[in-house]
Amino acid sequence: MESSDWELVQKCQAGEIGAFQELVSRYHQKIYVVIVGLLRNREDALEVAQETFFRAYRKIKSFQGGSSFYTWLYRIAVNISIDSQRRQKRNPLDFRETMDGVFEEQHEVARDPFSDVHDRELREKLVAAINDLTPEHKAVIILRTVEGLSYKDIGEILGCSEGTVMSRLHYARKKLQEKLSAFL
Amino acid sequence: MTDCKLIIESLGGWLDGELGSSDAEAIRVHLESCAACSAERRQLEKLQVSLKSLLVSDVPQIAFEPFWSGVRERITTKRSWYEGIMEWARPTFAGPGLAWTVPAVIVVLLAVFSLDSFWKLGAPRNNFAAVESIDAHGRNVALLREDETKTTVIWLYQNQEGENESSGENTETSPSF
Repeated sequence: MESSDWELVQKCQAGEIGAFQELVSRYHQKIYVVIVGLLRNREDALEVAQETFFRAYRKIKSFQGGSSFYTWLYRIAVNISIDSQRRQKRNPLDFRETMDGVFEEQHEVARDPFSDVHDRELREKLVAAINDLTPEHKAVIILRTVEGLSYKDIGEILGCSEGTVMSRLHYARKKLQEKLSAFL
Repeated sequence: MTDCKLIIESLGGWLDGELGSSDAEAIRVHLESCAACSAERRQLEKLQVSLKSLLVSDVPQIAFEPFWSGVRERITTKRSWYEGIMEWARPTFAGPGLAWTVPAVIVVLLAVFSLDSFWKLGAPRNNFAAVESIDAHGRNVALLREDETKTTVIWLYQNQEGENESSGENTETSPSF
């Protein structure tokens, strides 16, 4: 029978690195997808995802099980990503390169020539609109859209109330709608 | 809850299934009869589809083994004390961290600067007087300061004719006012 996250965490706290490896195998893809959404750069996201698990390993003894393991892990991932984003914002050149990389990667997956132009334009606008959001607004959009997390879980991850999550989501979606009004 | 503005504000929560049953029902009923709010709903749904496609569908699967190797390497490699401090300091002193860091630093500085007056609380308070010449016309000034009542008395007086200022003798003087 498969061990629960909490059982693995307890084994890990007792020094079993194999238990931590199991936790990484369960969550590495989910964490990676969230971080790609936040950073819009696959290479940086891979680095940040590995750093997330490294920091989780170092802090695992302080994890008491008050929240679920995955919300705790997401909290670490989001904090590192937001920190990384702020540093990117301070370096506009890196930021532009990041966005260009995303456009090129996404262009490769388009197939239909008619929807291709429309899709590409929509995607470019969407990426630009997402990048214009503040890190906090971007985080609620990613956690809700990618993971389908409840407002309660998102609030736990970001350290805010459910009401704040709802209002941030409303604001972020409104901003995206305004910038994509021609396409929606 | 039938006002269109309120409905639109709650539409996201409604689509996410995060509203209570009575609010959700009120929105459902409103949407059946309001074309503008229904259009808003369709726009939001389209936005959700586009976001999902962009954020989820295009992200590749990452192989576990190389990923785990990278994590294990970080775990086994000992970081320098400098990296440890930077790792702690970066999130603490960046962005919102500043919101509490700046006031905290101000409070600490104020505490340090006011420490001097706290130390003086237990010390005996002394009144003191100073006499000095303030100009070439031979006017003297006596200054009496009393800490407890914050009183300062300035006493201006003029030297008697022929008095030797530097003699330090206790001569009688008559105050000018």
